[in-house]
Amino acid sequence: MKSLKKDNTRLKELLMRAYREKERPEVDELWQMRVMSHIRSLGPITSRGRYFMLLEQSVWRLTPVTCLLILVLAALLIKLDFIPDYEMVKLFIDDPVEFTFVQWFGL
Amino acid sequence: MSNGSSKPSDAEIVRRVIGGEINAFESLLLRYKSHVLEVVKRHVPYNEVEETAHDVFVRAYLSLPTFKERSSFKQWLSTIAVRTCYDFWRKRYRSREVPMSSLAEEHHEWLEKVVSNRPGQSFTDRDSQKKAGELLDWALDRLSPGDRMVLELVYLEGLSGREAADLLGWSVANVKVRSLRARKKLRDLLA
Repeated sequence: MKSLKKDNTRLKELLMRAYREKERPEVDELWQMRVMSHIRSLGPITSRGRYFMLLEQSVWRLTPVTCLLILVLAALLIKLDFIPDYEMVKLFIDDPVEFTFVQWFGL
Repeated sequence: MSNGSSKPSDAEIVRRVIGGEINAFESLLLRYKSHVLEVVKRHVPYNEVEETAHDVFVRAYLSLPTFKERSSFKQWLSTIAVRTCYDFWRKRYRSREVPMSSLAEEHHEWLEKVVSNRPGQSFTDRDSQKKAGELLDWALDRLSPGDRMVLELVYLEGLSGREAADLLGWSVANVKVRSLRARKKLRDLLA
C-alpha cells in the first residue's frame, strides 16, 4: 500500500464527506415532551443555585493562581530551610518554661 | 429585548426561565433542536443522538445562569453540545471492555484504491461513501476522546484552533498540539 506518511488529499476529502453527510435522526413531539418533562422535574433555577454556579466558576478560575501560590510558597520554604518538626522542637527548647512543661509530660 | 414583534429574543426567554418561568424554555427547545441535533449527530453514533441531544438541553437549562449575553445563545448552546458529546465519549472510553476488531479486508482494499490514486477512478458512489464512513468510525474508535473531538472539529469540520478551543474549553496551544498528534495517530492507523 502506498504510504500515508503525508496527508492524502483524496482520502481526506472522502472522510470529510462521510463525516458531514452522516444521517440525522428526526425527533418527534414525544422526544420534545420527554425533554420538557425532565426539565420541569428539575424545578426552577433558584437564585441559590445560580450563585452556587457562579461561585463554582470563580473557584475554577482561581485554581491556576492558587496552584502558583502553592508552588511559590513551597519554593520559599525549601529555600529558607524550614522543617516544621525541627522548628517546633527548637521553639520548645528555646523557651525554658515551655521546655519544663514538655518535660513533665515526658514528651 | 423584544423588537416589537410577538417573537421574544433568546436573551429575553433566558431571563424569563431564570425568573422561574420554566415553560418558556420550550421556545428555546423548539428554536434550537435542529441545530443541536445537527451538532450532536456528527460526534456521536446514530442511535445515541436523541439521548445526547436530550442531555444537551437539560445541561443547558441547568447552566442558564452562566449564559452571558456577550455571545449568541446559539453559540453558547453549541459549546454545551460539543462538551456533552465529549463527555459521552469519555464515559464510553472508561467503560470500554471488549477488544476492538481489526479493519475488514474490504476496507483495506478500498483504502488501497483511494491511496493509489489511479486516474479516472471515482469514489462518489453510495457504497464508497458507506465504506469511508465505516473506516472513519473504525479509526475514530481507536482514538482517545480528546483526540477524537479535536480531530473531528479541526480536521473534519475545518474549524480554526481558536474556534475549536472555545468549543472544547481548552487553550489554543493545547488544541494545536493535540490536533497534530491526533492526525498523526489517524495516519498511522490507516497506513
